[in-house]
Amino acid sequence: MSRRTTRIVLSAASLAIAAAACGGGSSGGGAPASSGTALVGTFHITAGRCTGSGAPTGSYFRMIDANGTLANGPYFENPDSVCKDKSYSVEIPGTDGGLVTGTFQPPPAKAFDAQGNSLADRILETGTFTAIQFGIQTESTDPQSHTTVPAPQIFDDNGKLTGQLEAWSASWNNQYFNQGSPKPGGAMPGITSPVTGTYDASTGAFTLSWTSSIVGGPFNSFSGYWHLQGHFTPSS
Amino acid sequence: MSRKTLLVIAAVIGIGLAAAPVAFQMFSRAPKGAAMLSDFKPFMTTQRLDGFQQDIGQINAAVNEVDTKAVPQLETSADEHANQTLATYRSMQQQWPQIDSTMTTLLDKVQANLGNYQAMAALPSFELFPWFFVIPGALIAVLAIVGLLGGLSPRPTRIGLGVIGVGLILAPVAFQMFDRAPKGADMMSTFKTIETPHRIGQIQSYFATMAVGQGAIRNDIVPALQSTGSTTQDLATSYPATTALDASWIHILNDMTPMIGAMSDSEPRYQAISSLPSFKLFPWFFVIPGALVFFVAIGAAGDAPVRRTDVSEHLETTEAVSV
Repeated sequence: MSRRTTRIVLSAASLAIAAAACGGGSSGGGAPASSGTALVGTFHITAGRCTGSGAPTGSYFRMIDANGTLANGPYFENPDSVCKDKSYSVEIPGTDGGLVTGTFQPPPAKAFDAQGNSLADRILETGTFTAIQFGIQTESTDPQSHTTVPAPQIFDDNGKLTGQLEAWSASWNNQYFNQGSPKPGGAMPGITSPVTGTYDASTGAFTLSWTSSIVGGPFNSFSGYWHLQGHFTPSS
Repeated sequence: MSRKTLLVIAAVIGIGLAAAPVAFQMFSRAPKGAAMLSDFKPFMTTQRLDGFQQDIGQINAAVNEVDTKAVPQLETSADEHANQTLATYRSMQQQWPQIDSTMTTLLDKVQANLGNYQAMAALPSFELFPWFFVIPGALIAVLAIVGLLGGLSPRPTRIGLGVIGVGLILAPVAFQMFDRAPKGADMMSTFKTIETPHRIGQIQSYFATMAVGQGAIRNDIVPALQSTGSTTQDLATSYPATTALDASWIHILNDMTPMIGAMSDSEPRYQAISSLPSFKLFPWFFVIPGALVFFVAIGAAGDAPVRRTDVSEHLETTEAVSV
């Protein structure tokens, strides 16, 4: 009786300790549903060009201040933007010509130089943002959240593009800022908006746009608005 | 007081101690404290904190120089374009006194708490803290319950409880909690005005203003001054602080951006651990139950052991009453 009782009490105590150690659950988001035909290949990016005022032509990026909105800003003005309206930073295709879906485009093994300039130049040519070069990459593990993410996917549904770019990540000043949509894990925080766009199957012309709010780090709650355009080439 | 009563008290203390981390949500909050301390670790050195003060001082010197020399020169320039170049800089010019004051005060506060941080960081990892309650609490409860049920003879029960009681009393002394925990409480108190969403947002906004302002100096004002005939060498002589800021700007970004990131990431972590009871009380959370359990062990020595037959009789009586 006594040994049995002791065993029962000890087991109960162990269970109590184990139960006490268990944390709460985690909330999960969900990637927006995508339908249509998967476009697997390269979304060749047309370089952005500044206009006299307003949005550039081609591909560009804007950074929205914390608690700002896409429609009204306020926007972070990149002092190194070549545009008159410095809230626009034009983008130039990188060594791969643009975004490749169905696979990853990671940075080189040495992702930054000694000054914190990004060396990730496969998708986009690195551009200067407040004196330091920033780059874009996609990796199977998001370097900011350390979450496993899927390779980029874009779907065409009669000329309307949707998809997920969870792996889209900016690197700058020895730091990483996930700029994907949805965010790693599928959440859509802040003003993160789904990837949407247009596609002309006859010419391959496409546009892709999304907003991604930064989670964590020095620019927590700031958001990036990405507008890419160019032409799609399927992989052979 | 009977030995049985004393063991019941010990069991209650043990269960209370083991349950305390659950009640205070320590299993979710304490690791955030550990993460916060880890976030700040790279910056909480005299060298790094002095460096941040120097960064602010360097920006201040350049802004003063631009305000007192470059701005008047460009404002009176006949070249309309030169005057226009000041437009972007104006925001920095207007906001800098506030930015300088806020950032300097903030850095002073952080620097004044360097010793408190180091004391807090010298404590055992926060991730272990819940277990410092659960393990002795569970052991006390198990010993007392097993002793009550007659599964363990009185002497080892008393010795076991006595040892755990003394261990609980000595643990805060061994970890220098009486010295370190109040320092941690002081640091938490100081950070109350720093680690808020409003303050973090303000610092992020200041950082953006500084980045845009430095960009305006580098890309607008310096070229405008050069267009008036000043050579690079002339500017280095006439504007030493501005030239120095340009040369150091990337270093300043390398230095300050991760710190702002750490402050931002730590804000929810700070809120989590600030919800715990004051750190000043923590040593007593060990000493008081430890002393009680120790006295239970001593008190139980003077009383007759609980016989298994007593327990059986008690249970039989209870069952009879229930029926």
